[in-house]
Formats: sequence, C-alpha cells, structure tokens
Amino acid sequence: MAATEDQLARLSKVKDIITKASQELKSIEVNREIDLEFDVGNLLVTDKNTLDEEAVYDPDTRPAYLQSLARDGIQALMSKVWDLPSHTEDNAVFVTLPKTTTVLPREKPVPKEKALTKWEQFARDKGLTKKKKDKKVWDHILKRWVPRFGMKKVQADKEKNWVKEVPGNVDPYEDMFAKEKELKRERVAKNEYQRLRNIAKSRKLKVPNVGVTGNDLATSKDLGVAMHHSRFATASKGKFQPTLPNEQVPKGLGKKRKHEQITGDGRAEKKRYMEVLKKVEKNELNLSTAVHKQIREENIEADLAKKGGKKQLRRSKAGGRHRTRSDHRASKLGKGIHESRKQKISKIKAKQETGGLGLGKGRRTERTGGKGKKG
Amino acid sequence: MTVMQRVVKPKNPRAKRALVKREPKIIENTKQCLFLHGKKTGEFMRKCIKDIYALKRQDSKLLQSQDQLLPFEDILPVERLAHEHDASLFAYASHSKKRPNNLILGRMFNHHILDLIELGVDNYLGLEDFKNKKITVGNKPCMVFCGTQFEDLVDYKNLKNILIDFFRGVEATDVRLQGFEHALLFTATDDTIYMRSYKILLKKSGTRIPRVELEEIGPCMDLKIRRTKFASDDLKKKACRQPKHLKIGKKKNQSRDVFGTKLGRIHMTKQDLGQLQTRKMKALKKSSAKAKATNNEASTSTAEPMEVSQE
Repeated sequence: MAATEDQLARLSKVKDIITKASQELKSIEVNREIDLEFDVGNLLVTDKNTLDEEAVYDPDTRPAYLQSLARDGIQALMSKVWDLPSHTEDNAVFVTLPKTTTVLPREKPVPKEKALTKWEQFARDKGLTKKKKDKKVWDHILKRWVPRFGMKKVQADKEKNWVKEVPGNVDPYEDMFAKEKELKRERVAKNEYQRLRNIAKSRKLKVPNVGVTGNDLATSKDLGVAMHHSRFATASKGKFQPTLPNEQVPKGLGKKRKHEQITGDGRAEKKRYMEVLKKVEKNELNLSTAVHKQIREENIEADLAKKGGKKQLRRSKAGGRHRTRSDHRASKLGKGIHESRKQKISKIKAKQETGGLGLGKGRRTERTGGKGKKG
Repeated sequence: MTVMQRVVKPKNPRAKRALVKREPKIIENTKQCLFLHGKKTGEFMRKCIKDIYALKRQDSKLLQSQDQLLPFEDILPVERLAHEHDASLFAYASHSKKRPNNLILGRMFNHHILDLIELGVDNYLGLEDFKNKKITVGNKPCMVFCGTQFEDLVDYKNLKNILIDFFRGVEATDVRLQGFEHALLFTATDDTIYMRSYKILLKKSGTRIPRVELEEIGPCMDLKIRRTKFASDDLKKKACRQPKHLKIGKKKNQSRDVFGTKLGRIHMTKQDLGQLQTRKMKALKKSSAKAKATNNEASTSTAEPMEVSQE
C-alpha cells in the first residue's frame, strides 16, 4: 500500500512536471486570428486584429490587456529572430537582421556622383595607382631624414642650396635666387588656379582664363594693390574716399613721376637749356607788350597822384583786374579797354615820330576849324 | 585682378571631418533628434520630454528653453536649429490654454520640414513613476503597433511612420540575442493612441526560443492627434528615393578546375601580324642564330678549347 502511495505521489509529481512543461511549451506559441506582420529589420510587429474595445476603454483592465497584446507581439517577434542565421563572437551570440521593409524617408537627398577632375580622369585612363608616400625622405647630401614638405623641408633646402652655379648662357647680373622664388610663386599660383578651376567645374561655374588668383595666396602687397584699384575706381579717383577704421592706404601707388637720367649723355639736357636761354636772350622788342606795360605804369601813377593814396600793388582788394580811371573812361565811351590801348599805341608812335614832344590834347597837327589858331 | 567666389575651406582636419559628416551619403547617419520646449511649458510637459529624451539619449540633444516657437505657423526657426545641430527629427513640447500638454513631432528632409504632427498628452506616467530597474541606454526597441486604424486612416498611417522613424534608433545589422531589452507598444483606438513601454525579460521555455515576459518601466501616455501637416506626395516620393546600391555583378570568365586552381579566360583582340615587333628581338638576329649553330657543333666536337671551358 505504501509503495503504491509513493508511486502515486511520484506519478502525480511527474504529471505535474509534464503539465508544467507542456504549458511552457505552449507558452511560446502565439495564436491570433489575423497573422501578425513583421519587419524584422526594424524589430517591428504590426497587429491588425480588432481590439477588445471594452478592455481598452476600461482604465482598470487596460494595463493588463495592453501588456498581453504587447507580450504576444514580442513573443512572435522573438520566434522570428531566433530563427535568423547567427554567429558567436566574444561569448555572445549575434543574429544578422535582414534588410528593413518599411519605407522610411531619407534624411538627406541621395548624393550626386562627383565628377572626376582632369587629373583623376587621366590617371584612370592610364591606369595609374596612388602610391603612398613616406613622410620623410633620405637626403644623401645632408645625410639625414628630411620631411617631404613643410618648414623643415624648406630649411633643409636652404642648407643644400646655399650656392648656385651660374650656367654660361645666363645673364651674370641676374639674381638666380630671386628667379627661383619667382618660379615657385608661379607654380603655386598655377596649382591654385587649377584647383579652383576644378571646383568651378564641379559647381558648373565659368572661370576666366587670365588673371585669377585665390584669396589665400594674395600677398599683402597684392591685396594693397587691389584695394588701391577699388579706391581709384571712384568719381574722385580715391582722393575723397573715406577709409575704414583700421585701413592703411598704401603709399607709392598710382602714376609715378618719371625723372630724367642723371648719368649718360647730356644731349637732351643741353638742348633744353639752350632753348630756355634762347627765350631769355631774345633782342626782339615785342612792341605791344612793352607799350602795355608803359601805359599801365603811367596810369597807375597818375591815378594815385590824383587820389593821393598808397600805390596799389598787383593784388587789388576788390578782386579782379586792376582797372584804372582811364580804362573806365574808355569803356564808358563804348570803345572798350583794348580800343583805348590801341589809341595810346598810336599816340606813342606819333610821339616817337615827332621826336618826343608831347603835343597834348588839343594840339593836333592836322586840325582845322574850331577856335584854334588860324594860320 | 579677379578673385574667385569664396569657397568654404575647413582650416583643420577636425573641421573637415565635421563637414564630411554632414554631407549627404549613400548610407546615412542615424537620424539625430532635437528636443525643444518653449519658455512656459510647465513641469508636466518638461518631464514628458525629458523621459522621451532618456529613451533616445544616444542620438538626440535636449536644448534649453527656446523663445516661443510656433512650428505650425513659422517653421523657419526650427529648421534653422535643426540645421545647426544636423538633426532631422525634432520634438517640441508646449503648454497653453488652448492646447494643453502639447507635443509636436516632426521630421526633416534636407533640412526642410517634411512632416509635422501635433499630439495631446494625457494620463502621463513618467519613468520615475515606475519603481523598477530600467534598461540600458541606447537599446534598440522592439515596436508593436496594434489596431486597425494604423492601416486604414491616413493620419494614423503617417503617425505610425513617424513613430517608427523616431524610436527605431540605429539601423542595426547584427544584434546580440540577449540584447532585446526594450519594447514599445502603440495601440490605436478611434480617438486615442496608447503608448506603453516595457522591459523584455526572456525566460526559459522548453525549447531554444525563450518565453517573453514584460514589465512596464517607461513613460506611459495617451496621445490624441490634434493638428497635422504632412508632406505632399511628390516630396514624399523624393524623400523616399533610395540610391541604387552597387550590385556585385557575376564574375565571368573565371572557373576552377578539379584541383581547385583558379582558371581564367582572356579574350584578346585580333593581332595585326604586319605590326609585329621584329627589329629588336635578339632571338631573331642572324648573328645569334649563327652563334647557336656553332655552339651546337662545339658541343658535339671537342676541337676548340673555348667551348670546353664554358661547359
């Protein structure tokens, strides 16, 4: 009897275990009316089944019901995930997720393929490959490792090229070092131009062929020249152009005055001086100028004597030309100043002819009539 | 002296790397998210946004309070912020009498707004309201969408898309089997969407596939769709355009023989025999031919001592 009781007990235990196990086995199954849809790549489960509205709306049953929904969904997803191909790394099992099926918009548009530069095209056509260059190069002249580029390379080059041989066909007075520097500048500028041209080509801009340089390579001198040009291109030719707070207007720009040569033959100089001398030593008497001068002086003195004032020198306070009384009289008569001067010229000539006797107003040689003396 | 149009050139490698990171790519970076809130949001909404930020900490930025933004009226400030931080998702929390407990979710394409949806938050329970151990930060969540509305109604469909985009995290290829920790549930009824967040516990079952048990941890909220502003069809199409992935073509003209050696076939162009190089080939020279002949003779006869020494 005891044995059977034990047996019964054991049997019931076994039964319990079996039922438990079977329950657990069932527990990974998920049965739904409409099958769940998966996007394993995104770990996404879509449940299209109709919900138990009552269970959802009632706030008491809601949490439990929602949890059960979630649990079923996740359980189904796990079954899918565990069936994926796996591999073990670092004591952990990894599964490779498949590609996502949900269409999600991208963050940025698909990049356009970059156009190859001229060099890249050429290299591709010729089949050239990029060769990795070392940072340092063995220099057999200096007997040490010199960097391929940079400040230290320039210093090393200076060390090496402290002297330059002048070949036979080159002008001995030419500065070879300056020439080298200039050539290097040209090479750098050319490279920069080509780089910018590549960029322009990729952005589909137009580039002028000549006279282009980038912002970075302009020396302060070049920038000064550019600024001078921009100032000069104003209505006042830069004279009344206001400067910016810290701007320094560069000096020495603009048209330079050309001085003549001091050394060399002095033929041009001699010619110039002779011409000046000729003008100075002229014996010709310009009659009209001499006469004008004479008249002026006489008139001034006469007027001053009458007025009784200081002799007014050239600059008159009233401004303008100094007009004497006789000038005004002449203009009143409607003859104009020059007309009166002409009369005076004829007067003086006549004086000269008569031998310097002033005949005066009334004494005309060929006057007839009037009160005068009768001959 | 012409100077060319200014080209933004990075001054050091770090700047260059930052620029390269922001460029459009074939395989894109994980979408960054921006969490914003206005000046008068109130504690409720601030807690809410902080909790969602906690879920997405790896790929998001929580900014300090902004001047009042009205994304539905003027989206430019948001676009500008997103451009600065290189973010294409954003969540903006606000609170007003007219729109209490407002949450606006949006996404961008090429730094311009794509979709915008305004949700009202109800019955909110934050992370601190569930007193249990949470999950590791940056965990990729498993998402469950329940309810027929997500298939039938346009608004719900778009919302589903936005939510997937929002919570998906990194586009992972390999996942550790023990790494499934987080589960998000979105249940749609006629008027509300219930969002729940659980921790996944994997229990032993009889088979190799574990039994899943859930424990509620995270923020729990009831959302109501208020206003929407979805992208037009052509913009959507443009945004969803995928690049042509480089197809690995079949390698032709290659084969392996029985011993495993790789054999290849080369197809030559027709050789113009008239253009063959015969001038500088030593083998074809007459003198060498003569020398060869003498050599052959010498090998047979032992007359000349020179040949013998060579041997």
